[in-house]
Amino acid sequence: MKPSPPTSLSRRAFLRTGGGLAVAGWALAGNPAARAAAPGRNNPWAYDVSAYETTDPALLAYTERRRFKVPRAEARRLTRGPDGRWWLCAGHYLVALEADGRPGPEIALSAPARCAAVAPDGTLYVSLRTHVEVFDAQGTRRAVWEAPQPRAWLSGLLATDDAVYAADSGNRVVWRCDRSGRVLGRLGAKDPARGIPGLVLPSPHLDVELHPDGRLRVNNAGRHLVETYTPDGERVSAWGKPGMGIAAFCGCCNPIALAVLPDGRIVTAEKGLPRVKVYHPDGRLDGVVAGVEHFPENARASRGDTAGNTLNVSLDVASDPEGHLYILDPVAAEVRVMAPRART
Amino acid sequence: MTTPPSGNPPLNRRQFLRDGARVAALTGLGALFGLAAPRVARGQKYVWQIDPTRCVYCGQCATACVLKPSAVKCVQSYPICGYCDLCTGYFVPEPNALNTGAENQVCPTAAIERRFIEDPYYEYNINEDLCIGCARCVEGCTRFGNGSFYLQVRHDRCVNCNECSIARVCAGDAFRRVPADQPYYLKTTAHA
Repeated sequence: MKPSPPTSLSRRAFLRTGGGLAVAGWALAGNPAARAAAPGRNNPWAYDVSAYETTDPALLAYTERRRFKVPRAEARRLTRGPDGRWWLCAGHYLVALEADGRPGPEIALSAPARCAAVAPDGTLYVSLRTHVEVFDAQGTRRAVWEAPQPRAWLSGLLATDDAVYAADSGNRVVWRCDRSGRVLGRLGAKDPARGIPGLVLPSPHLDVELHPDGRLRVNNAGRHLVETYTPDGERVSAWGKPGMGIAAFCGCCNPIALAVLPDGRIVTAEKGLPRVKVYHPDGRLDGVVAGVEHFPENARASRGDTAGNTLNVSLDVASDPEGHLYILDPVAAEVRVMAPRART
Repeated sequence: MTTPPSGNPPLNRRQFLRDGARVAALTGLGALFGLAAPRVARGQKYVWQIDPTRCVYCGQCATACVLKPSAVKCVQSYPICGYCDLCTGYFVPEPNALNTGAENQVCPTAAIERRFIEDPYYEYNINEDLCIGCARCVEGCTRFGNGSFYLQVRHDRCVNCNECSIARVCAGDAFRRVPADQPYYLKTTAHA
């Protein structure tokens, strides 16, 4: 038998080529874009909302000033303290952030932080879903407040000079407490005699914000409303309508988070179609801060194009005294700082 | 620049392929024993099931199954359902009205039944005889709601093919072999 001629391909080169091909194949298989382009995505039964995934440029009222990565995983909520420092709820931590995103001190917690608020005197309030932990400005824990009722899911907090409001998605009510944790009243509970239809919360996204008019704004997500309450719990007004269009609140339960600008306009964040919009106090749409196309990772996760855990995709939004908006995207693990565009 | 000659004789292609084939055969044999041993030891039977965390609602379950209609059905996880009036698993993205009109329903076969509970809550049940497993409702529910609708292989229908024809084309690689005595994934955590 004639011996085969020596090959010019060395074993090392062969392995290197094979390894390269394997890595390329693995990357392609794990790439959401490649998967999205797979034959299965040409689906005659797709739930198609692509018509709502682009924003009319004329409606864009904000421009991105900068963005920064958050220092901890599983970020959920963002709040601003009176000293200008931001506090991020992320996993089992409450992390301080400077305005440029540099992480400061952090407080370790025994359970995931769901939301936080900072009182004007610097006292920190953190919800761990079923209870609130109170920290002084130095980060020393001062008190623990148990929820007034079982099945609590405290998803929003607001701290003022004389009161703390705890939005309880589990019990569909906003608790009004004094600064020592004693319950003074409740807002939003169903009461037809007082004209309160009740909060509807298919998912735990109840939020509460203080408006410059001294009244509170609460998102009634299941009814697609933003409601106005006096601190005593009287329901003054409500606005909002369901729909996929840009002026409405999409899906079954939106908006999921609120912020209030210094001039009284109200900012809403939505899930499903991740977008952030600004409304006048009477409910007229003022403009769009960021549309679905501005959150590509979040939109892919919302569509289900990313494998694995997409449990936490909900945006959060907060404002500063200059009218800048800070948008937390937990999927991209970053905060975007948005500034208003000059109006003509 | 030249490479200094090594002491070993050069490896030709035939020797390299022969060695490679031996290594591959031994590795494959080991893997086969490794996979088969625990199953044989327990006498365990396995069936096909869909991991809902990997499902990407590609629609292949409706068309690729050897059964017509498919053995894959939508199931409802009542503990995590929001009982929404505007259920995005039931209604098309912009319904004319929140009623049971066919033009408002997302399901192409009207397999989801909507039942009033109390204002403003509605219960949604799946009629499995009508469901074709297209996952359109699953996508609507998971994207906007809590994800209480999800697909499962129903074992009162599935013929448990050795090579599942849906698993071969599943875009999310969601099909798994699970023990026959635990044949379903029970979804208990809300998506949102």
